[in-house]
Amino acid sequence: MNMKEYSTQTKAVETETTVTLTVNGEPRQLRIPPNVVLLDALRDRLGLTGTKKGCDHGQCGACTVHIDGQAINSCLTLAVMCEGREVTTIEGLASDAGLHPVQQAFLENDAYQCGFCTPGQMMSASAMLEDERIGTDDAAVREAMSGNICRCGAYKNILAAIQTARGQMPTARKEGEVS
Amino acid sequence: MDTQVIGHRTPRVDGEFKLTGQADYTVDWQVRDMLYGYPVSASIAHGTLKTLHLDTARAMPGVVDIFHHGHFPELYRASKNQVSEMRLPFEDERIHYDGQYIALVVAESFEQARAAAHTVQADYHQEEGARTSLLDTNQEGQLLESEGVSRGDPEKAFDEAPVTIDHTYDIAAESHMQMEMHATLAEWRDERLIVHESSQGVVYQHKAMARIFGLPEESVEVVSHYIGSGFGNKLFMWPHAVATAGAAQMLGRPVKTILPRQQDMESGGNRPASRQRLRLGAKQDGTLLSIRHDSTTETSFVHPYVDSLGSATPSLYACDNVAISQRLLEVNHGTPCPMRAPGETSGIHALETALDELAVELGMDPLELRRRNYAKNDPASGLPWSSKYLDDCYTNAAKRFGWEKRNPTPGAMRDGDEVIGWGMATACWPAMRLSCSARVELRDDGSVMAACGTQDIGTGTYTIVAQTVAELSGVPLKDIEVRLGESTLPAGPLSGGSMVTATALPAVAAALRNAFDALKEVATGENGAFEGCDPDNLEIEAGALVDKQGKRVSFGEILSQQKLGSVSGDGQAAPGDEKSQYSFRSFGAHFVEVRWDPGISRLRVARVVSSIDIGRAINPSAARNQVEGSIVMGIGMALTEKLDYDPRDGRLINNNYADYIVPCHADMPEIDVELPDNPDYTLNEFGARGVGEIGLTGIAAAIGNAVYHATGKRIREFPITLEKVMDT
Ligand code: FES
Ligand code: FES
Repeated sequence: MNMKEYSTQTKAVETETTVTLTVNGEPRQLRIPPNVVLLDALRDRLGLTGTKKGCDHGQCGACTVHIDGQAINSCLTLAVMCEGREVTTIEGLASDAGLHPVQQAFLENDAYQCGFCTPGQMMSASAMLEDERIGTDDAAVREAMSGNICRCGAYKNILAAIQTARGQMPTARKEGEVS
Repeated sequence: MDTQVIGHRTPRVDGEFKLTGQADYTVDWQVRDMLYGYPVSASIAHGTLKTLHLDTARAMPGVVDIFHHGHFPELYRASKNQVSEMRLPFEDERIHYDGQYIALVVAESFEQARAAAHTVQADYHQEEGARTSLLDTNQEGQLLESEGVSRGDPEKAFDEAPVTIDHTYDIAAESHMQMEMHATLAEWRDERLIVHESSQGVVYQHKAMARIFGLPEESVEVVSHYIGSGFGNKLFMWPHAVATAGAAQMLGRPVKTILPRQQDMESGGNRPASRQRLRLGAKQDGTLLSIRHDSTTETSFVHPYVDSLGSATPSLYACDNVAISQRLLEVNHGTPCPMRAPGETSGIHALETALDELAVELGMDPLELRRRNYAKNDPASGLPWSSKYLDDCYTNAAKRFGWEKRNPTPGAMRDGDEVIGWGMATACWPAMRLSCSARVELRDDGSVMAACGTQDIGTGTYTIVAQTVAELSGVPLKDIEVRLGESTLPAGPLSGGSMVTATALPAVAAALRNAFDALKEVATGENGAFEGCDPDNLEIEAGALVDKQGKRVSFGEILSQQKLGSVSGDGQAAPGDEKSQYSFRSFGAHFVEVRWDPGISRLRVARVVSSIDIGRAINPSAARNQVEGSIVMGIGMALTEKLDYDPRDGRLINNNYADYIVPCHADMPEIDVELPDNPDYTLNEFGARGVGEIGLTGIAAAIGNAVYHATGKRIREFPITLEKVMDT
């Protein structure tokens, strides 16, 4: 193999942008290059490692967070697109009063094994339970949750947890409610 | 044993950490001055690397160094059983598979490393004749004499049998697709190597790293507190870990590498594709006269991994004439490795499918055929089973499923537009136990700490260790701290083989009992709470010592009185000679309903009823979760999962979650799992045989058998993708 000599050329300079956003209720400012995706910004730059990366391609749902209350894949969102937005991560789901009803229901229903897909499952579930486009029956929940892969296969318990949380969460849509 | 905590449904003690995002998985670790590694992989599967063009990458912002052949430390190879791939990274210029690392870019940020890695170009000398898959070739592979088993005269018995079956079954290579990708953070501190790795075996990796870097074992530490699962592909470390530790050594700064999903799938392990020929001979009444099971599996050109497909076959059914053979064929793929119930998942699949074919041939109910050949002792060793309730599993699961209502004629059962198919299969996995050490500390605040160098990969090890301590000490779970996943802790087992429960809990119990002895010594010594009392007259009750008169003093008080922060006990536990007296296996049965809608070509697994006898389930909710998860994984194996290697050049085509299809929420059938409680005290004092793997055995066969029952089509190449149901 003929290996080229180390280049003496000086390094290119990286351009950085300032982004101001709210994360779990706290105003945060980031100086980042434009190619930083929200998932990596949260994990590497804000130390919020509860949000997980399973594919980096929008295929697994592990990176789900809320932006302005809507569940999105943070691996498909550039951090610079979040100027002025409100981001909620798994670290922001519980309150001073304790675990969020979805978290409590996951605990009680053993709705996880390794726990790696779990933050994404819970962020999707907590948004889905309030989403009026989605029915309240098991089939509708399973369909709506299908963007969140659980390779441990804890689907049965995740479904049970979500339906348990529905009963505990004041803002969740209840069975029989029509939109 | 009448128990208060063991055998009772217990929410995971690590649950709150996992549910609030606080659990520290390897990928979450950051240390000061840390750099990011991003591997560059080969884009051919067979040939040599000629030139690497690195100038552009080197000039990119934040790039610190790029490692490759010729620019990497000289290291030692580990032995075959210590690592997943013996070849060291960048060892030479030979390319053995698509995705093999040709460079590691190291930069200040993840984005910088990724951007630079994407600019690296390579020139190759690509060679013709890549071996693209076992399933694309007629090559036989090398016969492995040591894997062969034979009893009786299977050939003659087959030739003379009135009814015979002779079919070949193919299973495509599968990917583990564990949610947390392989990851390493390596840091050198004063000649000590500290590695955070998403690992199913910290003690094993620590030994392998010491050997590779030529260090004394005390100079290496491996940490893995939380693992985003590993279904066998994190048992033994891979080249990315060596590349990362070598880079960190050369740079004098910590380096973290997380494999992108594509690379994880290409180079981080797979279940090898297999081809199995099953020949069964039987009497008209179904009695098996001969079983011949000849298997071939793949391995890579850089590591001889043998997936032993026939290992359950000699034990599963009573039959006097049995022969097993195994061949191995090298292909240009990333190295395969154990994947959940390795070997037997594929082997039992073929055997259980062949039995279904035999049942059809005989016009016999498939469950009845299995009962007819029920093995009362282990036919392989002649020893009695330690505990076997498979007949109950058959009876209970069949009843709950409604099997007696089955019309045996294929396609005869319908519901509206859907054709219903019912199939069943036996499940089986060996029960193993190794030696193990543990430490327990009783503390003056009343809390207890238990430590063992094993891991919790999501199976619930943290919780069952805490349950064991709670059971024996009476201390509430909330006051018990469990430490796992550090190689500096007393040596514990790999999280594999479904053996952690049977292996680790007796060691924890032994350590705890030694800690009790140490506490009693303190209590009965000078100025102790029970000064002068005979330690044998003190009982443990609800976190306190109690004497014959009923005087009770808590652990914490005993220690505080003596100004002691804690007492501790080290414990070892090892199997005895039980293996010379009994054979140890777990058994179970799966019953499956599929629904085939020919109008819209829709095939679904609708219902699974399983009864799996694992001895005692220490934590029934987590144990059932393991079986349910296995069933989900088995649905993937049966219907969708297949690593697609390009038949022209051996490159992996579907290296992501969109193209390699694993079951999602909507694929989940109605699942009903029974775990009959039959403690097996011959294996250990808690009666547990382990549960991580057995649920996956037999499930794909039961699904295939149900598909036959629905459609009349016997599909012998797995997975059963839709086009196969449509055209065969
Ligand atoms: S990491 Fe974003 S969807 Fe998988
Ligand atoms: S709990 Fe492991 S992937 Fe869902």
